[in-house]
Amino acid sequence: MNISLLLNFTKQDLIDRYSGSILGGAWSFILPLVNILIFVLVFSKIMGAKLAVFGAEFTQYGYSIYLVAGILAWTAFANSVVRITNIFKEKAGLIAKVNISLSILPVYILVTESIIFLISMAFFALFLLLIDFPISRYWLFIPLLFLLQQLLAYSLGFIFATLSVFIRDIREFVNVIIQLWFWCTPIVYVIDIIPEFAQKLFYFNPLFIIVSAYREVIIFHRLPEFNNLGILLITASILFVLSLYLFRKLERDVRDFI
Amino acid sequence: MITVTNLHKRFKLYKKPSDRLKEIMLRRSFHQNYEALRDISFTVAAGETLGILGKNGAGKSTLLKIITGVLLADDGHFQVEGKITGLLELGTGFDADLNGLQNITSNGLLIGMSMTEIEAQKQAIIDFSELGDFIHEPIRTYSSGMIMRLAFSIAIHANPSCFVVDEALSVGDAHFQQKCMRRIKRFRQEGGSILFVSHDLNAIKMLCDRAIVLDQGIVVADGSPEDAVNHYNRIIADLEEQSQRQEEGYGSNEAEITAVKFWGQDSGGRVVTSGEKSYIEIIFKINAPVEDLTVGIMIRDRFGQDIFGTNSHHLGLDFEPQHDNHYQALFELDMEIAPGKYTLTVALHSQENHIELCYHWRDNIETFEVAGTKGDSFSGVCRLPTKVKLERETELGHR
Repeated sequence: MNISLLLNFTKQDLIDRYSGSILGGAWSFILPLVNILIFVLVFSKIMGAKLAVFGAEFTQYGYSIYLVAGILAWTAFANSVVRITNIFKEKAGLIAKVNISLSILPVYILVTESIIFLISMAFFALFLLLIDFPISRYWLFIPLLFLLQQLLAYSLGFIFATLSVFIRDIREFVNVIIQLWFWCTPIVYVIDIIPEFAQKLFYFNPLFIIVSAYREVIIFHRLPEFNNLGILLITASILFVLSLYLFRKLERDVRDFI
Repeated sequence: MITVTNLHKRFKLYKKPSDRLKEIMLRRSFHQNYEALRDISFTVAAGETLGILGKNGAGKSTLLKIITGVLLADDGHFQVEGKITGLLELGTGFDADLNGLQNITSNGLLIGMSMTEIEAQKQAIIDFSELGDFIHEPIRTYSSGMIMRLAFSIAIHANPSCFVVDEALSVGDAHFQQKCMRRIKRFRQEGGSILFVSHDLNAIKMLCDRAIVLDQGIVVADGSPEDAVNHYNRIIADLEEQSQRQEEGYGSNEAEITAVKFWGQDSGGRVVTSGEKSYIEIIFKINAPVEDLTVGIMIRDRFGQDIFGTNSHHLGLDFEPQHDNHYQALFELDMEIAPGKYTLTVALHSQENHIELCYHWRDNIETFEVAGTKGDSFSGVCRLPTKVKLERETELGHR
């Protein structure tokens, strides 16, 4: 399994999939953009007021910046988990015919999502420049944060993918979980609207930690909270090892069942 | 070079996939074992072609999947020197919406070529496939033959040291099939090993240096292609006897066919070489008095077309059978027909043909196969006795 093959899968994913359509690869961005617009329309009035509490210099675009800083990372994460979960089914035809390393195969999805994230971030940066919102050197943390969240996405997705060969329900289950997870993470809303006793629980949500870190560097130009990120890194690494261990244990059966 | 040693593959059969996890958690068995391969050992030397024969479900595909790395064996090991490439089943990995060129790239990458190799071979692949300008069209506009041509071209240009051919060659027109055969022979001369799986016994005889026969996951024969083919046929024969495929036939039942046997003089079995003297023995019983009786045979090809038929009346044998007796009719003929699978239909009737009185008619009561050619080779369905003379035209003068 070499790099050009992975990149070719990514290319098929990003470009070839839309071959013959007029807008082509732009479709990868249209759904997220529509999502963002809907959330801005619906929530900017309600949440905008709450944001003032944060003390950052906010304009009428305050909510949009808050939302986009979190939602791009979330979209990359959620898509990666869901798509990696389905990967064996999606590529079943190939897996049954060609010798492909099953543990490396999901990497192409990570690459695809990274490229979409990168382009989205570029647009976001352009937007910030246009509205004169400062972009600081703290942006350099973004790649690290992204690596961390995608490590988590791979580990979770790959565990689900392995199990889904034996339990078909996993695929539906993951869709539901991701939907719930989205609303349990302060992405479209601010955490202040949650009762105080419940706010502590949010720190058990890895995505809250990630999303907060993105906001720290993008909006507030501050260092992210390293303690939480450190714990998250350890957790993600353990999950990563676990996912590979589980797969190694079950690879023979996985291949037989596909 | 491929070396396979004591390979075992066991499929665990579960009622549902989740039972596998239940098994791990509860440490109790929820499966039945199915032994797909048992103790398989063989080697294919460089430049050698090994045929693999076996009825459906004998383990051929499982074996190939293990060697190509798609499935994992339970026990034993195998070694493949260099790259191994299989002909992906028609268009696996092809994207119907992309054009031929794009599919060359993605398919080439899939079977383990590097980007530089693909670029270097691209033109050769296009030329070999004879797709011409079609290479710029989306694959969905291709016929299955064109897809096969492209797939084969990519696979053979991937420069493998071992090549797995699994039946796929049967698609495509004769011209391209022969081109593939020539290319495969060249590949072999250059030291490539080939695993050839086919039900086409003629191709096995022509192409392979050696053949093995798999039956229920065991190598039951390993030797020359002829031996392997004969062994394979015995397995198939047993299978057919078990399934009792023959129906009773029809007729007025004054006479009844009780047994039909076909054998070749040299082979002694139901696979003969084209041109080999063959025998058809028909045993029948007379149930009621009849005035006259004709025994007829008809050879049909696999499409059900009549290839050759004759009967005792045509052959000048007038015969008045005695009531309540058993008779044997023995036809002897040189099997001057092209390689392929044939069926034998036998009939008992009166006079010249069965239109007036048909006592007993049995369609496809026996099957046989012609594989390989004895003597001068020929093309078409049959070998007509032919002589040829060559002279200079000037000596003939003008007539």
